[in-house]
Amino acid sequence: MTTETQEPQGSEAARPPFYRDVRVIRVVGQLVAVIVVFGIAYWLVNNLISNMNRLGISTSFDFLFGPTNTAIPYHEEFAIRSPVWQMSLVGIKNTFLAAIFGVILASVVGLIVGVSRLSDNWLVARLATFYVEFFRNIPPLVLIIFFGFAVFTFGPFPIFSESWELKLPGSDDTLLIINNDRWGVPGFTATGSLVLFWVILAAGIVIAAYMWRRRTKHFEQTGQPHHRVLWFTGVVVASLVVAYIASGQPLDVSWPVISENRRRVDGGFIANWGWISVTFALGLYTASHLAEIIRGSILAVHQGQSEAANAVALSAFQRYRFVVLPQAMRIALPPTINQYLNLVKNTSLGTAVGYAEITALTKTSVGNGRPAFQSFIIVMAVYLVFSLSISLTLNVVNRRLQLESR
Amino acid sequence: MKITKLLAAFVALMLILAACSSDDDAAATTEAVAGEDGGGDGDTGGKLAAVIAADKIVCGVNDGLPGFGVVDDAGVYNGFDIDFCRVVAAGVLGDADKVEYKPLTADVRFTALQSGDIDLLIRNTTWTATRDGQEGATFLFTVFYDGQGMMVPASTGFTTLEDLADANICVLSGTTTELNLAAVFGARGIPFNSVVFEDNAQLNPAYQEGQCEGWTSDASQLAAFKSAIEGEGGEDQFIMAEIISKEPLGPVVSDGDTEWAQAVEWSVMATVQAWEFGLDSGNIGSYAGDNPNILNFIGTDNFNPGLGLPSDFAVQVVTQVGNYKEIFDRHIPAIGLSLEGGPNNIWTEGGLMYVPPYR
Repeated sequence: MTTETQEPQGSEAARPPFYRDVRVIRVVGQLVAVIVVFGIAYWLVNNLISNMNRLGISTSFDFLFGPTNTAIPYHEEFAIRSPVWQMSLVGIKNTFLAAIFGVILASVVGLIVGVSRLSDNWLVARLATFYVEFFRNIPPLVLIIFFGFAVFTFGPFPIFSESWELKLPGSDDTLLIINNDRWGVPGFTATGSLVLFWVILAAGIVIAAYMWRRRTKHFEQTGQPHHRVLWFTGVVVASLVVAYIASGQPLDVSWPVISENRRRVDGGFIANWGWISVTFALGLYTASHLAEIIRGSILAVHQGQSEAANAVALSAFQRYRFVVLPQAMRIALPPTINQYLNLVKNTSLGTAVGYAEITALTKTSVGNGRPAFQSFIIVMAVYLVFSLSISLTLNVVNRRLQLESR
Repeated sequence: MKITKLLAAFVALMLILAACSSDDDAAATTEAVAGEDGGGDGDTGGKLAAVIAADKIVCGVNDGLPGFGVVDDAGVYNGFDIDFCRVVAAGVLGDADKVEYKPLTADVRFTALQSGDIDLLIRNTTWTATRDGQEGATFLFTVFYDGQGMMVPASTGFTTLEDLADANICVLSGTTTELNLAAVFGARGIPFNSVVFEDNAQLNPAYQEGQCEGWTSDASQLAAFKSAIEGEGGEDQFIMAEIISKEPLGPVVSDGDTEWAQAVEWSVMATVQAWEFGLDSGNIGSYAGDNPNILNFIGTDNFNPGLGLPSDFAVQVVTQVGNYKEIFDRHIPAIGLSLEGGPNNIWTEGGLMYVPPYR
């Protein structure tokens, strides 16, 4: 820019020598930077590969198709001769399970605690402050180990053979099984093909989304109440019922049952101690950070907004729901994305309680002679994909939430 | 679209990687020569000289396994494996105390060896084909013949592996034990669930609190923990008679340096040779006989087979640390295992401890 203003008309004769020409320097500078970065990366990787070759360590990814030869904790259905990539898939699934339930738990608890910190009720506000200060000042690894060992190993729960069983009143079905190793709750089991079920349900969700937009438009044009949540839920529930009946009732409730020898839980949905520890520890830890983000965001909404809401006689709930929170959410979202990403990455600490997520399984497989470098390249790629998909999704949401006028 | 750019960069990096791994050997060798300035450690033929120049041996060990490698209250390393680190230091450097101990977990031990962080790995490490082939490791003389066993609380009355059908079984992650457990139970069709831990400090309480009904590990480790648990007033434990695997444990060095490997191996084997000759820390220094083999062994008249070791290395090893039996008796009976009748006895008494002649 400066060059162009200094030079009248930009005539060829008046141009400075190329080494002082900003346009040239810019291009050359970027080129050099790119070459240096890639050069260093190439040098590092090449060094690594040649050192590995010298020591006779394989640099190929063929090991992924060799047999795993090991069992996966709490996956008795996993055949020990399955190829290594199938073991990685189990790890990815477990990482996902811990992350998704952790995010849900963190969001719910974080919102409640964050709003409670601003409560006028002395006790509620103090309890929320205590929660935040307690959880955010303890490293997540310590929390995971605490949950794993203080709650399960040394905690109040009975050993497997003496599990607590909560029966459904007036029935033989078990609602809840609890011991110091795994918990069982009722789940669903497929009795037929689920393809038709999912197709109809997906169609239902598309229709519901369409109804949402239609109701919104209707509201914008006429000012009549949109009731879009009601419409949306109604259509989804209706399509669930239609899908279930039309596809021949392919789902059945599966009740957890303790096996004859009292060493196995069959049926139902089973949560093992590692998963529970990781989910709760990370969920509650991240919630303490989210609570602070939400509190700060609410405080960042201008006082005048609340006063205006009071002036038009909105109730306290309405003030939060329609005036304060929608504006606070806009501020809260970007730092919240960071917390979600941290939570996903922190699931790798689950290895401390033997939770079979991708890092733990990879460490096991490396210990058993699989090449460390290639194995961890895959782990890195997995976390990268997880994190990038979260930030991509939430960035889209963030962009849509921002005020158009800003 | 920053993310697209990031992805593109990542893909580019992967492509470079792929290109590198398909490079032929010729390119790799030239690079290896060029890389010597940076690496230094583990280069062909250089380790022995490097160790002597540094005047200490960096030894990767276990710091939480009674009998084999523990740190006592004063911070001193102690144990069967530790003594063999000292044996190598005495043989190569003439002073058993010139060892720097690096405590390692099971899953990083080979990486530490490959990277040259440690010169020597003596950490109850089982010699297997995959480890020999894929970890760039050279396994040397087996100093302890172990086997995997199964421990259960005595009160359960279990005596066979079949009694543990469907049970939770505690095991350390990243060990051959984990593989054997899956292989043996799989072969016999016994369903089970493994509960894995990173180290025994976590596994032990989980087992004692009944989260697992069985604990599988090398028999020597189980014996050590059995005596520890019972000594602390815990429940009585029972180790099943069945041994389900071969676990030869010994020192490990990095591939590609035979000179260093030989120096380590002969230092270690000197302890067995001394035992066979009837020499121990008390009498080796004052040997007055005329057995030519023994005279060679203790380096009389500067007999030196050219292993790169001082001619009196055997004397240093045995006076400073002891012969094999002395080392064994110092650590292993305390954890409930004996030399007699086992595979770790000398070959003349029916054991497997047999070394090539020193001449």
